[in-house]
Amino acid sequence: MTMPTLDFPPFRLPDDAEALRTEVRAFLAEELPKVKTTDKFRSWNTRSPEFSKALGARGWIGLTWPKERGGGGRSFLHRYVITEELLANGAPAGSHWVADRQSGPNILRFGNEELKSALIPRILKGECFFSIGMSEPDSGSDLASVRTRADKVDGGWRVNGTKIWTSGAHRSHYAIVLLRTSGQREDRQRGLSQLVVDLKSPGLTIRPIINLYGKHDWNEVVFSDCFVPDSMMLGEEGDGWLQVTSELAHERSGPERFLTNFHVLTELARLVGRQPGARAAETVGKLVTRLWTLRQMSLSVAGLLENGKSPVVEAAVTKDLGTLFQQELPEIARIVAESDAADEDDLAQFLDLAQMATLQAPAYSIQGGTTQVLRGIIARGLGLR
Amino acid sequence: MDTDIRQMFVDTAARLFSEQVTRDVVNGLEKGTWPADLWKQVEEAGLAWAAVPESAGGAGGSIGDLMAVLREAGRNAVPLPLAETGLGAMMVAQSGLTPPVGPLALVIGDAGSSVRISGGRVTGSAKRVPFASIAGHIVVVAGGEIAVVAASNARIATGQSHAGEPYDDVTFENAVAVAAGKSSVSADRALQLAALARANQMAGAAERVLAIVTQYSKERVQFGRSISTFQAVQHMLADMATHIAATSAAARTAAYDAEDGDGSFSIMAAKTQAGEAANRICAIAHQSMGAMGYTYEHTLHHYTRRLWVWRRDYGSETVWATRLGQALARGGADSIWASMTASRLVA
Repeated sequence: MTMPTLDFPPFRLPDDAEALRTEVRAFLAEELPKVKTTDKFRSWNTRSPEFSKALGARGWIGLTWPKERGGGGRSFLHRYVITEELLANGAPAGSHWVADRQSGPNILRFGNEELKSALIPRILKGECFFSIGMSEPDSGSDLASVRTRADKVDGGWRVNGTKIWTSGAHRSHYAIVLLRTSGQREDRQRGLSQLVVDLKSPGLTIRPIINLYGKHDWNEVVFSDCFVPDSMMLGEEGDGWLQVTSELAHERSGPERFLTNFHVLTELARLVGRQPGARAAETVGKLVTRLWTLRQMSLSVAGLLENGKSPVVEAAVTKDLGTLFQQELPEIARIVAESDAADEDDLAQFLDLAQMATLQAPAYSIQGGTTQVLRGIIARGLGLR
Repeated sequence: MDTDIRQMFVDTAARLFSEQVTRDVVNGLEKGTWPADLWKQVEEAGLAWAAVPESAGGAGGSIGDLMAVLREAGRNAVPLPLAETGLGAMMVAQSGLTPPVGPLALVIGDAGSSVRISGGRVTGSAKRVPFASIAGHIVVVAGGEIAVVAASNARIATGQSHAGEPYDDVTFENAVAVAAGKSSVSADRALQLAALARANQMAGAAERVLAIVTQYSKERVQFGRSISTFQAVQHMLADMATHIAATSAAARTAAYDAEDGDGSFSIMAAKTQAGEAANRICAIAHQSMGAMGYTYEHTLHHYTRRLWVWRRDYGSETVWATRLGQALARGGADSIWASMTASRLVA
């Protein structure tokens, strides 16, 4: 019998990555108390330009980028340690997150010299932030159906169309925008390109979209005859699809897929105390088990990527389990808290936090590939389609 | 870990089990036929004493090698006390005693058991001891001591687990041990190792369930197409696969951690993970195979029944999650992250 394999070989971070963890923890212990934000419950997607600047000064943005470009020249395993420490400690890393995770690497890999020398040093300093311009009103999971067009004009491109759900466009400096530079919508993946767009360009309008709990994170970005110079093209015209699909494994299986609301777990543990009842202890034990397992799976994928493998299906499995965990966590915690809290005021405060985490939860299984898209990828990996 | 040796163990086990462990052999044990010939071959291949040093007559492998063999055993529903013999012989040898040849059962004096060792004699009882009625000897670990008792020196009330394997109640009445001494491991540690073994058997069984179910869904045709082409079926199987992958990843990591250290955090988590996932895996597997998978004729039950039963062996997910949760709570809320990243309890 041929066995379909989902292979997660055990993987342990190297000693020098663990040594970096000690440095990061010391840095966060000193920096985090200084940061002021308006978010009631701070998390990694809270934006704080001051914090990003401090992190950049420490050399921890662009950690994997080449030294000759000013990057850290270290491995993705080192970056993994920084990322998970930021997440687990609720550091407000939202400002530079996208630039560090994908925009910078995309510019380094595909951008021309002019683009690199203009933007990379600023990203590294934690002074230049990016948004992602992929989704459109009629293109969500089916990204290849984008309608935004760029028509060739003298010295550049004239862009028309609308991008939507653009996180942080009102706080970022640039967006990397996927658009059609040739052919028609029916041509699908062919004829797509990516342009780096200055979000202050004339002809570009940013309109807020308020989410269900009243926060302004998303935007609609409307282009009407917005001019973008030739130098802002990433790679060759027509390479856009290859660019957007090439780094999904890193994006999908990273610790942001299961550690986003880790604070719910630690606050639950604080609430039930050092000598919890059997039910609360069991619940904490099971939640920690699920997180530990997810982290081992995510590390395993990181190890495979580091060794040049392409664990697409394993990354999809990790994101699917991770996002569902993040959605169940506040609910499981809420239920056990109600029966096991010792103090009424502490309980009320915890339930407030858990409720906010519940309001944030629906987004997890939508962004970065819906559960349904991921299950399609997993089914294909199992040979079912 | 020596990868060549590991591969040799895995290849030997996979070949022997896939050739010899037929449906009739597995069903035979349930009907009361001990597969003596299979046991002999497993012993001769060095799989029963995988982690016993060569100086004591074993194959000289590591605890990780034994766990790799047990994943293969789980993958093939091997109806033998391979976990009990492998761990029992290893612990006896590590304690400086000579392990007895033949199948072994394990009795561990933990909070739930009354077994005590004193002056080379064993007293007390234990319920649902896997394979006690076919074992030649029973290895007892309690209160810092280890003892090997001939099964004929214990009173054994035979029973059967819902997976069709021997599940016997054992009573020792001042039973004389053939060998006894200070144990190389505490009873707590012995229970952890047994839980690690079951978690790895469960991982193997779960991986086999995935293979059976995906193959069936591709072959089974309804409405003129194989049922694997229906999105509803695809998503159900993808969901099941994520839980199987998690169970397998956790068990393998725990085996890896136990090999070059204590690994107790990982072991508690791995057995909890396996126990939590088992019912979901089995439910989806049976749903996707319809009536066919619910028959005795089909071999799916060799794996699903074992997954359901093994949840409780050597500490259920409730037991281990509670212990883990209590230990973490003692360290305080702010030590949870440090413990998770170190895979050990950090106060």
